[in-house]
Amino acid sequence: MGSGWETTTLAERAAEAMPGSLLAGAGYVLLAVVGASLFVAVLGMALIYAERKVAAHFQCRLGPMRVGPHGIFQTVADTIKLLFKEDIVPAQSDRVLHLAAPFFSMMATLLALVALPMSPIVQVADMNIGVLYITAVTGFGVLGVLLAGWSSNNKWSLLGAMRAGAQIISYEVSATMSLLVVVLFSGSMQLSRIVESQADGWWIWRAPVVGVVAFVIFLIASLAEISRTPFDLPEGESELTAGFHTEYSGLRFAMFFLAEFVNMFVVSAMATTLFLGGWMPFHIGGVESFNAVMDLLPPGAWFALKSAAVVFLIMWFRWTFPRLRVDQLMKLEWKVLLPIGFVNLFAAATAVVFGWYFFPF
Amino acid sequence: MDVSRMNPIVAPPLRRSGFFADIVAGLRSLLQGMGITFRYFSHPSTVVTQQYPENRATLKMFDRYRMRLSLPHDENGFHKCTACRICEQACPNGSINVVSRKGAVTGKTELDRYIWRMDSCTFCNACVMACPFSCLKMNGDFECSVFDKSLLVFNLTRYAGPTSTVLMKVENPEERRKLWEPRDVYSGPLPLRGTELPGGGKTLGKPEEPARSET
Repeated sequence: MGSGWETTTLAERAAEAMPGSLLAGAGYVLLAVVGASLFVAVLGMALIYAERKVAAHFQCRLGPMRVGPHGIFQTVADTIKLLFKEDIVPAQSDRVLHLAAPFFSMMATLLALVALPMSPIVQVADMNIGVLYITAVTGFGVLGVLLAGWSSNNKWSLLGAMRAGAQIISYEVSATMSLLVVVLFSGSMQLSRIVESQADGWWIWRAPVVGVVAFVIFLIASLAEISRTPFDLPEGESELTAGFHTEYSGLRFAMFFLAEFVNMFVVSAMATTLFLGGWMPFHIGGVESFNAVMDLLPPGAWFALKSAAVVFLIMWFRWTFPRLRVDQLMKLEWKVLLPIGFVNLFAAATAVVFGWYFFPF
Repeated sequence: MDVSRMNPIVAPPLRRSGFFADIVAGLRSLLQGMGITFRYFSHPSTVVTQQYPENRATLKMFDRYRMRLSLPHDENGFHKCTACRICEQACPNGSINVVSRKGAVTGKTELDRYIWRMDSCTFCNACVMACPFSCLKMNGDFECSVFDKSLLVFNLTRYAGPTSTVLMKVENPEERRKLWEPRDVYSGPLPLRGTELPGGGKTLGKPEEPARSET
């Protein structure tokens, strides 16, 4: 079923323009680098500002209020400060790995951004194994964390990194399990196709019960994967000082920090794309007048709003829930999420086979 | 060591039920917590932060806030201090020096100067608690920064003389005027260093104005 949306990707458009001349190709590459860094930097700063404001109001405070109206330039000032700070490398550390580790973390985040469909025309590359690609690439981030912990030659760093490794590997299973539910329903791993399959309704409610369960499991498991509170054991400050980035300062610390916040966006964007219809406006199959009203907002705005809602939810979790203990963390994954995920996947497969969901084609 | 008294390490009891009950209970408690935090988020009136320099005009410090020690003077400009020195003895680090004199008319001990060293005071409130006449108070006036720390040693009483009770027994205002003489913030037994500095006593945050009903 066609959804009536023309979708292109930035990669396709670049490929069309490239054969003209070498200069045009170089220009595109330069534009891509600048665009990507600008996007990540602005996104990171906006998210950090939002986090500080939201956190403050959850705790009866005001948050940054001094730099600019309501402190909107606070993160800009903080970023500039971080860039100018001394980059300390401990004397006994493994120097090369210590210097390289933040880039691994950052790269995993950047690579994940490639496949996200942010609107019909804003998507860098649309690969046919998009879901698998994102799962694989976000798992790559743990390498940076492990390297950082190992190369710092510090017990807190190493303990934090080991915790991160155990946590990410465990929770990836559940996250993938819940992604598979949507892949089953939409019958594709291509992210643009998954979005288009939700033209009549989002999978979170079109797939009765299993959609909601999968969404909740995905949210919990991805929070653990990106080490957000309540799963921030790798950097639990009361136990491990700062965990794997204890020995980092200046620009390299900023890299880890930025990667953490952009990861939050990646998770919300994934949740949006798979369960909340991506850039697709809120449609109910067959109710044309309602759908026409919903179409007034452009798809890019729908995507931004949905992602922002999920980001807010993640922040809400962070400032409400207490941190789990290590044994509780493992118990939650292997004894609760994984069995429920398996049963849910089986139920979803049954629903797909018999067409027990809203608007089956 | 008696082995039988040691706690054996036992496995937690095996539970065969309650899996979903635990999940539901856990989710309920998490949602309850989220409800509470969302109430804070959605009600800006719950914010307790004071935007200090901006709200300076309306800022009211709290009753239990302890900052500058003061010797409250009543509407006639008299205090209740008898110069009994209990506060001086209660002070753990000697920040209070009560200077008394023999009253020229009454012939009894009365307060001459009440010298308080803010620079060494820890605001422990011991003097206020010790005062048998409740004539001391730590008020909320926290804007006390000065450029010279010798300005932080000053005199709390505005006059040398007996207590308000003794003074108010004297009906005739002219008779009463003979019983006391004015004292200002920085003049001491030896002049306090603040008097030698430019601006005299006026540099301190809010010097208590000499409110005299009868002069």
